[in-house]
Amino acid sequence: MGRIKKKGTSGATKNYITRSQAVRKLQISLPDFRRLCIFKGIYPREPRSKKRVSTSSTPSTTFYYTKDIQYLLHEPLLNKFRDQKALAKKISKALGRNEVSDAARFEKNLTPKLRLDHIIKERYPTFVDALRDLDDALSMLFLFANLPSTENVPPKIIAKCQRLTMEFEHYLIRTNSLRKSFLSIKGIYYQATIQGQDILWLVPYRFVQRTGGDVDFRIMATFVEFYTTLLSFVNFRLYTSIGLVYPPRFDAKSEEQGAELAAIQLEVQSGNADADMQDVTATQTNEKAQTEADRLLSLPDAEPSEEPQTNGDAAAEPVDGETETQDTSTTLDQFASLDPKADTLLQPSLTADASTASKLFESFTIFLSRETPRHPLEFILKAFGCKRVGWDTSLGEPGAYCSEDDKRITHQIVDRPDIPLPSPPLTDGEADMEDGEGGAVVRKSNERVPGRTYIQPQWVWDSINAGQLQRADLYAPGATLPPHLSPWVKAKRGEYDPTVPLAEQETAAEVEAAEAEEDEVDEEDADDALAEASEGEEIDGVRGDEEARALEDELEDEDGGMDVELAGSEDEEEDKPTDAAAGAADDDGDFGGFSDNEADADVDAATRAARDHQAELEAEATGKGVAAGKAGDKKKAAREVSQAKRTRAEREELEDVERRKMMMPRRKRKMYEKMVYSNARKDEEAEVLRAKKRKIEKGGGKKSKA
Amino acid sequence: MAQQRAGQKRKVVEVPGPESDGSGEEIAEGLVDGGLSDDGESEEADSDEESLGEFDEEDADEVFDGDDDEELDSDEIPSSEDEEDVRQQFGKLMTTNGRASTPDTNLMGSDTAKDISMLSPDTAIESLPTNDKDHRNYSVSVDANGNERYVYGEIDPVYDSDDSDAPAAANTIGDIPLSYYDAYPHIGYDINGRRIARPAKGEALDSLLDSIDIPEGWTGLTDPATGQPLKLSREELEVLRKLTRSEAPGDGYDPYPDMVEWFTGKGMEEVMPLSAAPEPKRRFVPSAHEHKRVMKMVKAIKEGRIKPYQAPTKEDREREEAALEYASYDVWANEQAQPDHPMNIPAPKLPPPGYEVSYHPPPEYLPDKDERKAWEEQDEEDRDRDFLPQDHGALRKVPGYAKFVKEKFERCLDLYLAPRVRRSKLNIDPESLLPKLPDPAELKPFPTTNTTIFRGHQGRVRTLSFHPGGQYVASGGDDGTVRVWDHSTGHQLWHIKISREEAVNAVAWRPTEDTCILAACCGETVYFLVPEIICSPSVQSLSEEILSAGFGYATNTTVTKTADGHDKPAISSWSRPSAALQERGCLLTLTLHSTPKTLTWHRRADYFSTVSPSTAATSTAIAIHTLSKHLTQHPFKRLKGLAQTACFHPSKPHFIVATRQRIRIYDLQLQQLDKELLPGARWISDIALHPSGTHLLVSTYDKRLLWHDLELGNTPYKTLRYHSRAIRSVAFHPTLPLFADASDDASLQIFHGKVVRDDLANATIVPLKVLRGHKVSSGLGVLGVVWHPSEAVAVSCGADGGCRVWT
Repeated sequence: MGRIKKKGTSGATKNYITRSQAVRKLQISLPDFRRLCIFKGIYPREPRSKKRVSTSSTPSTTFYYTKDIQYLLHEPLLNKFRDQKALAKKISKALGRNEVSDAARFEKNLTPKLRLDHIIKERYPTFVDALRDLDDALSMLFLFANLPSTENVPPKIIAKCQRLTMEFEHYLIRTNSLRKSFLSIKGIYYQATIQGQDILWLVPYRFVQRTGGDVDFRIMATFVEFYTTLLSFVNFRLYTSIGLVYPPRFDAKSEEQGAELAAIQLEVQSGNADADMQDVTATQTNEKAQTEADRLLSLPDAEPSEEPQTNGDAAAEPVDGETETQDTSTTLDQFASLDPKADTLLQPSLTADASTASKLFESFTIFLSRETPRHPLEFILKAFGCKRVGWDTSLGEPGAYCSEDDKRITHQIVDRPDIPLPSPPLTDGEADMEDGEGGAVVRKSNERVPGRTYIQPQWVWDSINAGQLQRADLYAPGATLPPHLSPWVKAKRGEYDPTVPLAEQETAAEVEAAEAEEDEVDEEDADDALAEASEGEEIDGVRGDEEARALEDELEDEDGGMDVELAGSEDEEEDKPTDAAAGAADDDGDFGGFSDNEADADVDAATRAARDHQAELEAEATGKGVAAGKAGDKKKAAREVSQAKRTRAEREELEDVERRKMMMPRRKRKMYEKMVYSNARKDEEAEVLRAKKRKIEKGGGKKSKA
Repeated sequence: MAQQRAGQKRKVVEVPGPESDGSGEEIAEGLVDGGLSDDGESEEADSDEESLGEFDEEDADEVFDGDDDEELDSDEIPSSEDEEDVRQQFGKLMTTNGRASTPDTNLMGSDTAKDISMLSPDTAIESLPTNDKDHRNYSVSVDANGNERYVYGEIDPVYDSDDSDAPAAANTIGDIPLSYYDAYPHIGYDINGRRIARPAKGEALDSLLDSIDIPEGWTGLTDPATGQPLKLSREELEVLRKLTRSEAPGDGYDPYPDMVEWFTGKGMEEVMPLSAAPEPKRRFVPSAHEHKRVMKMVKAIKEGRIKPYQAPTKEDREREEAALEYASYDVWANEQAQPDHPMNIPAPKLPPPGYEVSYHPPPEYLPDKDERKAWEEQDEEDRDRDFLPQDHGALRKVPGYAKFVKEKFERCLDLYLAPRVRRSKLNIDPESLLPKLPDPAELKPFPTTNTTIFRGHQGRVRTLSFHPGGQYVASGGDDGTVRVWDHSTGHQLWHIKISREEAVNAVAWRPTEDTCILAACCGETVYFLVPEIICSPSVQSLSEEILSAGFGYATNTTVTKTADGHDKPAISSWSRPSAALQERGCLLTLTLHSTPKTLTWHRRADYFSTVSPSTAATSTAIAIHTLSKHLTQHPFKRLKGLAQTACFHPSKPHFIVATRQRIRIYDLQLQQLDKELLPGARWISDIALHPSGTHLLVSTYDKRLLWHDLELGNTPYKTLRYHSRAIRSVAFHPTLPLFADASDDASLQIFHGKVVRDDLANATIVPLKVLRGHKVSSGLGVLGVVWHPSEAVAVSCGADGGCRVWT
């Protein structure tokens, strides 16, 4: 027998270390440990078995990798933290002796300056790594840029965040790398694609953020400290990659006046301008290649539009020939699969392209009304090629391209209930029209200026997400806007997709349930109609019948139409409703495994059909027309038959699954059941949505009828 | 001095006579005490007295030497008082001594000489005779002074002659342990100073021999360096010994060496560091070299090369900070991609927003009243999303999101506090997990629906049997009737009531088509029935012939039996039934001593076996009968376990017996156990052997159906547990790869069980169909199931009194 092993000396225990052990090992305080972990990106792990890992009897909650902590031991920041601690002691000692000037001097001279450069390099060995991790950084910095300054959040940090985020936005405007944006109830989501990396961040709306009591700003400040360093390095790299000077010139004065984006002025790297230009083109061509790669990489969902590609930006490019050839090479062909059974590959949309992005709003002069959010609109419009954006002076003076009265304005973005058209010439309208300048001056502020398109802000977002300009009339001021949809949701099979008509995604069962409901309503209607008819024209009873017949025909037609759709959606439903009963009777031979009650149902259906036929014959013999109710019955019968068929098919399938499940090992069966359960939940959600949609549609239809 | 004296005295006292032993000792003690009490005060006096005493002693007798001394000693105190007194006393003492000097009196002798003189004579006289009655070695005479005079006789010089107490060879070493003499060959000395030899012992001899054998320097240790026995020289041993006693290890070792004076002593004295030399001039003159250097600096300052220190201004500081704040170089200037460490788990990105987050979502995403209420009532942690979708008609109406900071903060916490685990998500179609089973359509034909129901039995129908021709089904039930049905039409063709009370437990057609014999077990009797309606006359006659053929043979056997001389009661009786029964078609009866529950025919149709589980003796539970000879045998003398059912192997001479928990296969030719199966069931209800004879199905009352591959091993190859109640019966289709089982949950299950002849391939089992139709009555469902000999038709009988045909 070997030696008895001591607990906690080998195996998984050695790989993990609890937090308190780690703090003890590093000989720092818990807040310092937290900062270190945030800076170094060290996070706890979840061991497979906590019990096996913990050496103490008390259950520990957080475990770190021992190697992670080992590696922290050599961190230069650790010494800085210790210096900090020593300094704090010195200062407190000086203060205790009432030597305030000494304390101030210590603080001024001895405060260790934390540099996180090496950590940036360590955590993100390549630039692409840094871009990949930029989501959280941008969200955080944009939040801090919009926070009011408090004792927790010094104005210096806010200013820095504002500057860095604006620099980043300038880069996106310059390279047109913004791809998508989405107005949510939380804020505005943006997505940019830089070097093939999709970066998604959220910017809050410009409101004073509510900060609850349970938010620890020290933690957030630590993150912000790291993220500012990261973003400044990323900005440096991005700016230098397109030949700009970093940091760009920052005009504090205009910033105070509310210039926002205009407060930063980009400078081309001095020295040799030609080389710079070359550089720019080189980077642009790089961009081209990059975007091509992006397009291949990204799996966009928007429908590809058939917009013809034009070389509109050729003038801007110094090297024409090259760009042209590249343009021809970069235009993607649409692949249409010939065989409908074949798998369809997702095709890149045109939005994922810098050239289209740069041209979307290029020809427009857009004016932002006072009530619109200026900063996001300015940013998005500029990023999508609009060079001329003007706004109301109340939104900040510097940077606006034009004032509201400018003749050049093609689009005005307004967010008001409605703007009346210019009032008909009340006093001297003609004269106004003649001299525009004077008219503009006299014009009431609430009136539309002719020659402009007035649109709501959502138009901008929907246009950029779709990659093409949307119909402006849908977004007119005061109009009910079409729903604003997230550009990132990709419709999956079986899930509800609001962009597709309901009929295309409903299951057969739902259709029938809906139909049944509808029929009930219709029947009521028909009854009502009949009653009305009989009431109205008692003498001419035939007319009521005729009406009923017409209704019946209509219904039948509708039914047929539905059935065609059904046939399209479901293969099993092949039989026409007219011979469904007969078919059901015939079917007996094909389907092997019915139990007798199913057969009974079939028999019932067949007999009912026969009975109906008999009744019809009788009615004919007696000379009476078949009642309108009969038609409904017939239809109902047909539906019942098809329903019975479907339930039978479902049951058979269920039986088959059960049969196969019987032969599965237990573990696999459990996994299967879990998956089926989660799928069923998703289906249920989709079903709820579809039901709601149907309800809304019906309600809408009724309303429209009414 | 006093002690020394005491020692001498003691010796002296011992040697002459033991008479005064007790008193002498007392005296000695008293002397010692006294001697110790006066330390040195009277030493001078002592010496005087000694010198004085010496005279007296010479006069006095040798024997009383000690006494004299004692006297002297006892008189020390008075003597010290006054010398004259002493002399007087001496004078008196001399006299007393002369008269009767006994130690006792002397001891008692007090301060006054008077007392002594008065007392001493009587006591002395009295005491002496008591002590020395025997050895009066003297005679008393009167000397010249008229005093008594002792005249001593000659002392016999022969040793030991006068010593009665001492042992002959007494050891004289005294009160010391004998171990002191361990090193010596003797153990002491006798009174004569001769050595007393140590008595030789066996051990001693051995040790002596050993000590002689052991070589010089032997230690019993081995030298670790050489591996040889470690020998130590005497010197080395001596050193070791000394070391163990913490003594100086050797003679040459000096524990207190002389101090060597390295730094002190003669010639090493410190010289006084003062000198009277005058101070050099250079000490008072400014250094030219320094001057040169200062001038250099002055020049540099003048030229502006050296700038005086200036405290950094605010601007400088800001500039510095700006340089720190904004990146001034490219960190990724020479970037090198590193392979991703497997342990590194990057933080998961937040999922992109869905439709429901939109400020103006499609109306179907908005919650209705119930959903809103449910969401509000839910605990914040239980909510699957932390917001309610809302519709703001226009962008201007969108309020700020109250929980924005909180959400970002929580994201921060997640980033640095949440343990990260890599979870592999199975993004596969669950369908792909299901095993691929052959399409049931391919496995057709198999029974799917109930086409016919046989009604007629009252009470349970217990047993069924398909005629080998495939047209007729026989059934037997609790009402004691046997009925024959046409399975295609469901008509009852023939029936016979065998018994009024007892149920028909088993029916079985004789497995040949040329006859039409049905065996039915009812009570303790097996009836052989020939339903005349369903068989042609020729078949009927042949059947009757076969049934009656054994009667002639039976007489033969009885003859042989009597010849053997055995007077056993017959284990069975084959007889013709009553005329009424014969009329109805029952031609032969076999009566046993127990109730047979199952009956199976051998493939050659001459033999059949009955199993009666409820018999008292296990040996008679299983019986094999020969129809042609009307012979009954009990093949097992003693059967382990309760027999449940039995069957014959279709091709080999094997007989398979199922007891409650075991299944045994016997070779009938070799008359030995061939194989034992361990199905692991608690109670076997039925077994079915595959027509090929290589696979065995076992149904159990513990809801399991076990498939045994007889070539694989003795444990089940597959265990099927799809019934919720006990399984009563199981049957293999004789020709098609089908099998069915019947259960108390009133369902039959049909399986496809394909057995490949190839040994390498396992049997494939595919569940096909669950047939329901029977009803549960008093806890019992379907009691039996049989297959059509060639078609995929199964017939089942149930406790509800009906038989159902499944096609």
